[in-house]
Amino acid sequence: MRNDPIKYFFIWPALLVVLGVSIFPLIYSLTTSFMSFRLVPPTPSRFVGIDNYTSLLQNPRFWNAIGTTSLIAFLSVALQYVIGFTMALALNARVPGEKLFRVGFLLPMLIAPVAVALIARQMFNPTMGPLNHLMTRLGFPNLPYLTETPWALGAIIAVEVWQWTPFVVLMLLAGLQTLPHDVYEAADIENATPWQQFWGITFPMMLPVSVAVVFVRIIESYKIIDTVFVMTGGGPGVSTETLTLFAYQEGFKKFNLGYTSALSFLFLIVITVIGVVYLAILKPYLEKYR
Amino acid sequence: MKSWLLATTTAVTLSIAGSGAAIAACSPDYSKVTLTVAAQTGPYIASALKMAGDEWTKKTCGKVNVVEFPWSELYPKIVTSLTSGEDAFDVVSFAPAWTPDFADSLSEMPAAMRQGADWDDIAPVYRERLMVWNGKTLSQSMDGDVHTYTYRIDLFEDPKEKDAFKAKYGYELAIPKTWKEYTDIAEFFTRPDKNLWGTAEAFRRGGQQFWFLFSHVAAYTNHPSNPGSMFFDPDTMAAQVNNPGWVRGLEEYIRVSKLAPPNALNFSFGEVNAAVAGGQVAESIGWGDTGVIAADPKQSKIAGKVGSAILPGSNELYNYKTKQWDKFAEVVYSPFMAFGGWQTAVPATSTKKDAAWNYIQFVTSPAVSGLAAITGGTGVNPYRASHTSNLALWSKLFTDREAKEYLGAQAASIAAKNVALDMRLPGYFSYTEVLEIELSKALAGQVTPKQALDTVATEWNRLTDEFGRDKQRVAYRAAMGLAAK
Repeated sequence: MRNDPIKYFFIWPALLVVLGVSIFPLIYSLTTSFMSFRLVPPTPSRFVGIDNYTSLLQNPRFWNAIGTTSLIAFLSVALQYVIGFTMALALNARVPGEKLFRVGFLLPMLIAPVAVALIARQMFNPTMGPLNHLMTRLGFPNLPYLTETPWALGAIIAVEVWQWTPFVVLMLLAGLQTLPHDVYEAADIENATPWQQFWGITFPMMLPVSVAVVFVRIIESYKIIDTVFVMTGGGPGVSTETLTLFAYQEGFKKFNLGYTSALSFLFLIVITVIGVVYLAILKPYLEKYR
Repeated sequence: MKSWLLATTTAVTLSIAGSGAAIAACSPDYSKVTLTVAAQTGPYIASALKMAGDEWTKKTCGKVNVVEFPWSELYPKIVTSLTSGEDAFDVVSFAPAWTPDFADSLSEMPAAMRQGADWDDIAPVYRERLMVWNGKTLSQSMDGDVHTYTYRIDLFEDPKEKDAFKAKYGYELAIPKTWKEYTDIAEFFTRPDKNLWGTAEAFRRGGQQFWFLFSHVAAYTNHPSNPGSMFFDPDTMAAQVNNPGWVRGLEEYIRVSKLAPPNALNFSFGEVNAAVAGGQVAESIGWGDTGVIAADPKQSKIAGKVGSAILPGSNELYNYKTKQWDKFAEVVYSPFMAFGGWQTAVPATSTKKDAAWNYIQFVTSPAVSGLAAITGGTGVNPYRASHTSNLALWSKLFTDREAKEYLGAQAASIAAKNVALDMRLPGYFSYTEVLEIELSKALAGQVTPKQALDTVATEWNRLTDEFGRDKQRVAYRAAMGLAAK
């Protein structure tokens, strides 16, 4: 390959486009986060240093949003992983009608989250919803699924699990189908029980895939907004308000752009910290089973 | 040759006649004009603008391009185009609450539009208050929004129900004059075993809930002697949101939530309409859409049985100046102009102001707007006297009695002496957001009504200081139709 400096000249335009498209908005957003910048009421922007950040860190609503988002993300992803792994194992065992199950299980993932949330809102409706109809028939009282904090959080988590478990199933099933058969044959010769095979072979060999799937799902779950917006609007009060919904309220209702930019960067920091800690904790295990 | 001459002469004559007809059809001639109109995503309002736009095109040969934005995008799109001075829109349609932020960038309505029978036909509360900012008419209402009361005629006129109600409460079952009577009626008809509840209002955060609270609160705080003091002291801009009148209104609103269907805390206005039309509730309050939907046999189980009236009032109002409850011999009605109805205006930057105002005049003319008001899905509610006086116009939707009551309620509400105006203030969403959060907490029982409103008052005062107390006072006084100080 010729070492002609002209090649750099031809690369530069593409590089500039990439920089312009990806880096400029980030820099602009970071700059805005150090400004007092409101569209409503329109006020001239001015530099305020880290005021937006300190104000956010002192705002109980921000910490409440972090707590709520973390609770929804970790609980729903944990359930998605456990249920997803179980379903993937079942599908991998070639049960009768496995192809039909596979398509059926994947359907929730293909529906738009807003539509899922609307369906869920109707399902959880105390007077017209099928869930409470069933409860009434069984002699139980109507439950305030979306209007009392614990129930509302539970309902949101249930919808998240219902919609995103198929993604976990899909990824884990792909991983399971690549596992070598000879290891299991050797285990069978050694009379290892299915339980021992799972903990001794399947789970460790699936660890890299599991780590990746859980990581992707946690990051995605932290971005939850549509389901919460449609199902509870963040209420009662702010008890189901997530970080992105909080950012939406600040940015698109109050047009407090400086504050919202600072919130976005704090959100980025939270996600990065969680990601780094998560990978750091799992690193020894990943290396052990490499 | 003769026939050729005859044919040519005929063709020329027809062509001249044709062009004359075309010129006559374009009156006034805006054939070279294309208006860009900003509206929220349809069908509501956008469909009314388009429907009228097609007719305007036939009349003037001008073209209308209605650009639709989702509700959350409409404000930033308009505000950024106005503040940057770009000529993006010739007509903007917007919420009255945004007027303070747009006022400096809007053109004044031409004097010719502000006279004549069509002008006088607009209800004074719109013509003299909501369309005016700092003494200038900057916008034209294209929709009327006032909360009214809806009830089920069949239940209210059932002799058994009437007797049972009188035996229990000691007075006749009738359209409530006060909110106390409203809650009594709601309590009386709350029968979960029969799938019937007392009332339905919006209680959901982000679901128009605060307008429903305002309707209750207006009855206790819109003191006739202290105009414009419902939300703030117009002299100092001290928040009034935690005074005893507000606390009473909120306590009542919470009480009502317990007499509504079980899921009511998640109700926005859409669910209120569904509950009313589904025959689930005996009474309700809300915008004019409720009556229209409930009367439509395709959408409603109670068509033909839909009664309407002005909102209940109170004979006790809190006087923020004396810090006392003032008693009145008669019930004082304070119907609340919730939201206030969509406005249309022409940005000062538009290069087609004549055509734009002509279009607005056409859209809001008695004939065109009257048709929009009775067309489902346009979102246009009555705002002209002719909208509520023409019973024949409404006979397609209602029975005679329904029409009389519906139009009577609308007319009486917007003409009421003590009508309560909605808050219009720069930073409107910042003020209402904290209210929504605290309301939602109070409804869920997480805080008491007083605690919730104290928090709101503290935040409202902080926001007022942040936005500039003097600036906000000027805006608030203008919004409430008070003289500048």
